[in-house]
Amino acid sequence: MSAPVLCASEVSMVFGGLVALDSVSLELHSGQIVGLIGPNGAGKTTFFNCLTGLYVPTKGRVELSGSVLPKDPAKVTVAGIARTFQNIRLFPSMTALENVLVGRHIRTKQGPLSTLLHGPSFRHGERAARSRAQELLAFVGLSTVHDELARNLPYGDQRRLEIARALATEPTVLLLDEPTAGMNPQETEATRQLIFAIRDTGVSVVVIEHDTKFIFSLCDRVSVLVQGRLLVQGSPEEVRGDPRVIEAYLGKPPEEVAEIVEEAENE
Amino acid sequence: MNRLWTVLSGLGFAVAAMMPWVTFALNDGNYPAKSTLQFFDAPFLLTGFRLHLLVIGLLVVLFTFLPLPGRPRILRAAGWAGGLISLVNGAYITFKGGGLGAITAADGKVAFAAFVGVAAGALLIWSGAKAAPGIEFSWPERPSRWLAYLALLVSFAGLLLFVAAILTSGGGITNPYSAGQFMSFLAMAAGLIAALGATGVLRWIGELSEQHRYFSLLVMLGCALGLPFTSAGNEYWMTVAVNIGVYAATAIGLNIVVGLAGLLDLGYVAFMGIGAFVAANLSGAAAAAFDIHLPFIFAAIAAALVAGVFGAIVGSPTLRVRGDYLAIVTMAFGEIFVRSSQNNIGGLTGGSNAIPGIPPLELFGTGFQESISIGGYKLAGGVLYYVLIVLLVALVMGVFANLKDSRIGRAWIAIREDEDAARAMGIQTGRAKILAFLIGATLAGLAGAVFAHKTSSVSYESFRFTESVTLLAAVILGGMGTIPGAVLGASLLFVLPETLREFQDYRLMLFGLALVLIMRFRPQGLVADRHRRAELTTVDDPVEVAAR
Amino acid sequence: MAAYLEQLVNGLVLGSIIGLIALGYTMVYGVIQLINFAHGEVFMVGAYASLACYLWILPPDLAGTWYIALPAMILFGSLVAALLAIAMERFAYRPLRGAPRLAPLITALGVSVFLQEVVRLFFPDAKQAKPYPTPFIEGGITVHLGDGQFTIAYIRILLVVVAIGLAALLQLYISRSRMGRAMRAIANDPDTARLMGINPDRIIVWTFVIGAVLAGVAGVFYGGYQNTINTDMGFQNGIFAFTAAVLGGIGSIRGAVVGAMIIGVVKTIAGQLPFLGGTQYDYVWIFVVLIFMLVFRPQGFFGETERVRA
Repeated sequence: MSAPVLCASEVSMVFGGLVALDSVSLELHSGQIVGLIGPNGAGKTTFFNCLTGLYVPTKGRVELSGSVLPKDPAKVTVAGIARTFQNIRLFPSMTALENVLVGRHIRTKQGPLSTLLHGPSFRHGERAARSRAQELLAFVGLSTVHDELARNLPYGDQRRLEIARALATEPTVLLLDEPTAGMNPQETEATRQLIFAIRDTGVSVVVIEHDTKFIFSLCDRVSVLVQGRLLVQGSPEEVRGDPRVIEAYLGKPPEEVAEIVEEAENE
Repeated sequence: MNRLWTVLSGLGFAVAAMMPWVTFALNDGNYPAKSTLQFFDAPFLLTGFRLHLLVIGLLVVLFTFLPLPGRPRILRAAGWAGGLISLVNGAYITFKGGGLGAITAADGKVAFAAFVGVAAGALLIWSGAKAAPGIEFSWPERPSRWLAYLALLVSFAGLLLFVAAILTSGGGITNPYSAGQFMSFLAMAAGLIAALGATGVLRWIGELSEQHRYFSLLVMLGCALGLPFTSAGNEYWMTVAVNIGVYAATAIGLNIVVGLAGLLDLGYVAFMGIGAFVAANLSGAAAAAFDIHLPFIFAAIAAALVAGVFGAIVGSPTLRVRGDYLAIVTMAFGEIFVRSSQNNIGGLTGGSNAIPGIPPLELFGTGFQESISIGGYKLAGGVLYYVLIVLLVALVMGVFANLKDSRIGRAWIAIREDEDAARAMGIQTGRAKILAFLIGATLAGLAGAVFAHKTSSVSYESFRFTESVTLLAAVILGGMGTIPGAVLGASLLFVLPETLREFQDYRLMLFGLALVLIMRFRPQGLVADRHRRAELTTVDDPVEVAAR
Repeated sequence: MAAYLEQLVNGLVLGSIIGLIALGYTMVYGVIQLINFAHGEVFMVGAYASLACYLWILPPDLAGTWYIALPAMILFGSLVAALLAIAMERFAYRPLRGAPRLAPLITALGVSVFLQEVVRLFFPDAKQAKPYPTPFIEGGITVHLGDGQFTIAYIRILLVVVAIGLAALLQLYISRSRMGRAMRAIANDPDTARLMGINPDRIIVWTFVIGAVLAGVAGVFYGGYQNTINTDMGFQNGIFAFTAAVLGGIGSIRGAVVGAMIIGVVKTIAGQLPFLGGTQYDYVWIFVVLIFMLVFRPQGFFGETERVRA
C-alpha cells in the first residue's frame, strides 16, 4: 500500500489535568473516507483541532504527505487540510459566493498594490476566482442561491456551503465535523452522495458523525474513540461486529444491540 | 374612508401654511417667511417653510388619488416631513421668541399654525400607514447603457443642487434665525428622501451606480467639482466643505479599520494628527523643528508614510488582543499621542503654542486661499483647497472601493465575521489586521497634511479623544462599511455644528445621545451596507442560533 | 528619600480611589462581559451629587460637622450614582443584551460622553473646576524621615482604610451570600442560571448598583482630598480604573485592588522621576503599562487564561 496522505501518530492532548486524547493514531490513504465515531466527549472534535493546528498536541505528531504539520491553522490550510465545523461557522453577513471566495483566499495572490490599482492581472485573478467559486457552488448544489447572505440560508444549505468553502481551499484532506447533524433522511442521503463525489475528485475525507448507520454505509475504514482512547479501528464490518464497540459506544442491552446490528447488516 | 383622513391631513398642512405662525415680531426682527401673515390674505406670497408645507399638503391630496408605488410609505414620509417642519418652527419660535405666547395667543392675535401642522402630520402618519398600496412597479433591472447614464447624471446633478440648497437653507451667518430655517429645511429634505426611498428609485440608482461604477464615480466627481458654481459657492462654505472633506477622508479610512475589518479604533484621529504635524514640520512653518520646505506633494507623502508606520505599530497588538480590549489599547495609544504632543515631544509639535504659520499651498504662483476666475466667472476664495480636497476624497473613496470588493477586503470582512473560521480558511489574520491599520492610518495622515496647510496652524487640541469619538460617530451614523455612509456621516456631524451654532454647546452631548440611540434603534446606520453588520445587528440569524 | 516615600503614600491614596472605581468595572465585566465605559462618569456624577448635597441640602450649621456631613454626602452621592446606574442599565445596555460585542461598547462610549456633557452644561458653574470641601478632620500626621518630612492628611488615611475594607466586604459578599452565588452563576452561564430560577435582570442591575455605590464613595473621597472636582475626572480616573482592573485580572476583586495600587504608585513615582519625563508624562506611563499588560498578559495577575474555542 502507498504511503498515507495523513498520518497522526500517538497524538495526546492534555488540558490542565484532563487527558482529552490519549495516544490516538490514525492513517488516511489517498481516496479513502475514514469515519470517526464515539460518544459525546470522546475527544473527536479535539482530535480534529489537533489535525488542523488549532491545538498543538501535547505529545505525538501529525504528518501530511510525509511532512510535519505547521502549528498555525492558517498554514495547515495552506498545506492542504480543510475542515468544516460542528456548529457551522460561516461568515453570516457575506453572500454564499463570497463565503466560497474567502476559501479561495490562499489560492489567489493579489497583494495590496495590485488591489489598489485594479490592474488587468487583478481583474483576471478575480474573474478566475469567481468562476471557480461558482463551479464549487454548483458542485454542492447551491448555484441558485449564490447571492443570498449565508445567514439567510436554510440549515442544510449552510452545511453544504461550508463544505464548498472548505473545498475552495483545494485541500488534499477534508475534515467534516458532523456534516449531517440536524438533517432529515433525504438531506443525509444527499450529503452521503456529495461526500462520495468529493472522494471521487481525489480528496481524502475524514468524517465525525454520531449516526452510525451513516458512517458504516459511507466509510472505507472506521475508528472508534472512547474517552480519548482509540478503542477499535478497522473496516465497517469489523467495527460493527466488535462487541467492545457495541458495549462501550452504544452501551445498550444485548438484545437491542443485536437488533441494531441486524438492521445495519440489512443495509 | 381612509382617503378622507389623508386628504384632511393634506388640507391641514395647506391651512397651516396660510395661518399666522407668530403673534408678534420676535426680538431679532420678523421671523422669516412672513410668518405673521394673516389667514388666507396672501396665499401666493408664501415662501420658505410655509411654501414647503403648502406644497407637501397639496401633494398629499394628489397622492391620495394617484396610483403610486409604495404609497403608504410615501404618505407617511410626507406626514413626518410636514409634522416635523411644523414642530421645528413652532419650537424654534417658542425658544427664540419668549414662550408659548408667541405661537398661541397674545395681544389679541392668535397663531395656532404650528399646532394645526403638527396635528395634520400626526394624522397623516397614522392614516397614511393604512392607505391602499399603490400599483406594483419595478424599476428596470438592467436598463440600456444610455438610460442608465442619463438616470445617473440626472440624479447626481439633482443631488448636487440638493446639497447646495441644504447648505444655504439657513440663509447665511447674518441671519439670526438660520438654525430654525436650516432644521426646517432638513425636515423637508428627510421627508423627500424617505418618499423617494419608498418608490424604490434610490435603490435603483444605487444598483445602477454599482453596475456602472466608473461612470458614476466620474459623474460624482464632476458634480462635486460643480459645487463652487452653485449658491453654496462662497468662501464660507468652501471652508466648511474643505473641513468636511478632511474629516470625510479620515472617516473613510477609519471605516476600513472599523467597518471592514471590525477593529474598533478609539484613537484614530491621532494618525491625522501625526500626518498634520509631519506636514507642518516639513513645509517651512516658522516654528517647525526642521528648516526644510518640501513641496506639498512630498510633504503629504511623508505625512502619509509616517502615519502609516505608526498605524502598523498601533495595530500590532491586534496580533494578540481582541475585541473590546483592542479598543482600549487604541484609545491608550491615542492618549499617549495627545499627552506627548501637548508636551511638545522632541520639539516636534509646538506643545500648547501649536505650530503656527504653515504656508498656504501654491500652484503656479496662485495661493490656494485666493479666489480665481474661470472664463470670466469669479470663484470664491479657497476654491482650490476645495478642489484639492474633492480629489483627495475621491482618491480615498477609490481606495476603499477597490479594497472592499477584493481578496483583501473579503479577508477583512471574514475576520470581522468570525476570526477563527477566517484563520481556518488560511487567512493570516494578524497580517491582514495590521494591513487594515496601516492603510487606514495612511489615509488619515494624508488628510492631516491637507488639514495642516488649510488651517495654517496645527495644535494637539484638534486631535483629542472627542475628535476620535466624533469620527466614530460619523462612521456609525452614516453606516459602517459603506462609502456614502462615511461621507454622509462626516457631512452631518460637521455641517450641523456650523449651521446650528446656537446649539453648539450641546454638540458633544447630542453626539453621545446619538450614539446610544443609533445602537438601539438603527445599528446599521443611515446607509445600510448590503452585508448587514454582523457585529451590530442583534443575533437573530440561523447561523448564530445554530451555533449555540 | 522623603519625597519618594511621600509619593509612595500618594500613590496608595490614588490607588484606593482607582480601586473603588475598578471594582465596578471588574464586577460588571465579570458578570456580563461588558466594559462599562460610562462607569467613570458614574464616579464623576457621584462626586457632583455629593457636592450638591453639601451646598444645597445640608443645613449650613451641620455641613461643618464632619460626622454628619461625610455620611450624608456619601449616602446622597452613592444614591444618585446608583439611580444613574440603574437607569443606564435599563435604557442603554439591557436592550442590547445578546447583541454583538461592539454595539454595547459603542453605547457605553455614547453614555459616557453624554453624561460628562450633561453635568458640564447643567450643573451650575461646572464649566470650570469646582471647589470641594474636606468633609473630615482637617490636618494630618507628619512623618519625619532623615532631613525631610511630609504630612499625610487624615482623610487620605481614612480613604485607604475605607477602600480596602469595602473591597474585603465585597469579596466576602460575593463568595458567601446568595446574591453573590447568583452573580457567579450568571457569569458562568446565563442560560443555565435562568433555568435554575435566577432572574438575570435583577442580578445584573444589582451588580451595577454595587459598582455605582462604590464609585459614589470614591467620588466623595476624591473631592475631599483633591479639594476640587471637574467633569473630566470620570474619564481620566475611569481609564486608570479600567487599567487597574485589567492589570489585576478583570473579574477578580483582589486583582482590582492590587492593580489599582500598582497604577497609583506607577503614576506618582513616574511623576517623581525626571528621566521618565516627570509629571507631564505620568499619564503616559499608565497607558504604557496598560498596553503591555493587554498584549502580554491579557488575563491579568489573578485572571484565568482564556481557552481557545473551536
